[in-house]
Amino acid sequence: MQEESVLARDKIYTEEQFPSPLMQLWWHFRHTNVAMIGFWCYLFLLSLAILAPLLTEIGQNSSNLDVLLLPPAWDSAGDVSYLLGTDDLGRSMLSRLINGTSLTFGLSIIVVIISMAIGVMIGSLSALTKGIKSSILNHFLDVILSIPSLLLAIIIVAVLGPNLKNTLWAIVIVLIPQFIRVTRNAIKEEFRKDYVLASRLDGASPLRILRYSVFPNIFERIINQATLAQSAAILDIAALGFLGLGAQFPLPEWGTMLSNGVDLFYIAPWTVYLPGLAIFFAVISTNLVGEGLRHALKQRKES
Amino acid sequence: MLIFTLRRLTLFFFTLVILSVFAFSLCYLFPGEPIVNLTGRINDNAAQLAALKLQYHFNENVFFQYISYLKHIFSGNFGLAMNNQLPIGPLISKLLPATIELSLVALLIALFIGIPVGFIAAIFHRKPIDNTILILSMIGYSIPVFWLGLIAILIFSIYLGWLPSSGGIGLIYEIKSVTGIQFIDILMSDNPFKWQAFRSATMHIILPATVIAIAPATIFIRLARTAMLEVLDTNYIKSAQAKGLTFFEIIYQHAIRNALMKMILHVGLQFVNLMTFAMITEVIFSWPGIGRWLINSIYQRDYTAIQSGLLVLSTFIFIVHILTDFFYAALNPIARGKRFGSR
Repeated sequence: MQEESVLARDKIYTEEQFPSPLMQLWWHFRHTNVAMIGFWCYLFLLSLAILAPLLTEIGQNSSNLDVLLLPPAWDSAGDVSYLLGTDDLGRSMLSRLINGTSLTFGLSIIVVIISMAIGVMIGSLSALTKGIKSSILNHFLDVILSIPSLLLAIIIVAVLGPNLKNTLWAIVIVLIPQFIRVTRNAIKEEFRKDYVLASRLDGASPLRILRYSVFPNIFERIINQATLAQSAAILDIAALGFLGLGAQFPLPEWGTMLSNGVDLFYIAPWTVYLPGLAIFFAVISTNLVGEGLRHALKQRKES
Repeated sequence: MLIFTLRRLTLFFFTLVILSVFAFSLCYLFPGEPIVNLTGRINDNAAQLAALKLQYHFNENVFFQYISYLKHIFSGNFGLAMNNQLPIGPLISKLLPATIELSLVALLIALFIGIPVGFIAAIFHRKPIDNTILILSMIGYSIPVFWLGLIAILIFSIYLGWLPSSGGIGLIYEIKSVTGIQFIDILMSDNPFKWQAFRSATMHIILPATVIAIAPATIFIRLARTAMLEVLDTNYIKSAQAKGLTFFEIIYQHAIRNALMKMILHVGLQFVNLMTFAMITEVIFSWPGIGRWLINSIYQRDYTAIQSGLLVLSTFIFIVHILTDFFYAALNPIARGKRFGSR
């Protein structure tokens, strides 16, 4: 894109074109190798999460009692038809891990999108209010943020009862305050700038300023917060599953799989380290994308 | 400083009010009778419950119920744990210090790893060392803590057999609990084997504390690196360079002090994270702390315990926040300004 425009500029110098802020961001992002690796891993996980039922030939819960606790295929006792081995009920680890992608990773995306929508809405409304209302909200956020996220999630699960759906709502609620805070601070910061003043002098209403002037400029900061929130969401879903408060037994959620494997840790370590590696892989690719985004944002600002 | 203190104290007061309202409202949100959830007396008959309702002003409106709840909390009466009908107050005062001990040791480990490594990364900014440290910190930040705990047990307790995998101290030592913080209790006791006990307690705390410390340490690395880079970019560093000081003189005499100051605020904010990790790690390592107790309470639907645990733990974390704020303001005059105090 950029090279093209440079070439075009050489030919017809009057026809100068500037890439949009988002394209500039993508251009900087694309030139950070590590971030791109993370991005491809992220897309890979995303496609796994969407296509999981089509990809797995052996069902996630179909057990084969002839092959209990089969080690992964690279072990001398392993079998290639069960590439990552089986668990204590003879279920294929590979199939369960792939199906678990749509639970742990896929659901974390949905959780982040919901809490982002709610958080951005409340945050922008609160940025427009002043005085005692906004001060109360600020203190309230301080209180919520001082409760450990896991503890808050645990309390919400205790109120609603432990299962996967309630865990997701709990994590949505836990993530909202951070979105409110980021949106609120970003909007307040933008409102002090001159271009907002210009459109206000044109007679634009606050909502119109938000929609057309401010949101395009704070969009990346919210996305940046979303990547942070997603890595927290993956870890929280898995942690609650591990503690037995989230996804329940037959679901192939990674944290739940890991806690099922704990008893077999010493005879069948792969039932523990494989789900753990999957969580690790998902979190690190999310973090790499986030890190790449922050780096690209910084570079765009400097250039 | 006085205005700053007053502002902080009012903030603290309002926070406590909100927290206690939240904790009180839980007894209505949890399934079951509110009065039973609040007091934990599940075995009482109707007449006893009626007496309790009178005692907690449950016949009046919610406001008086809340006031009477506060009165009970301030007199140290948290009700009974539903699962074993023991008073929760003494239980918490025994469990909370164990968690504080574990998280303090973890915090120290995280600081001692995180800050020097972060400074090194900043000094070698954009060199291979910096990149390696950043990649390692990214890995450390992404490892799920429960998985790390299990792997650590597998390696250090099972295969190598170096460190014990569960509990706070060897079962053969009997230490009377005075402060609840085990190391102090051991040193205060007149047990003839107290040095062996001390050694055993040290061996027991290393593994869980290190597991908790890994993720905060990686965050400290990044924060320390950023703080140091900011300091190295300032004008007083440039003037020190202009004076002709050597690079290491600048780092030792000017940069480290100012960068450390910036870190204090972050340390307080990271404490919430650390407590979250501590709660999970306590479950894995069977550490006799408040996190394991809370999670067990959920399995047993012990609503009274959850309610009081939330209140105590959040209050503790908020006190830590306030204390770091004070500490920071005491050391750094800029932070005492109106903008920071009124936040």
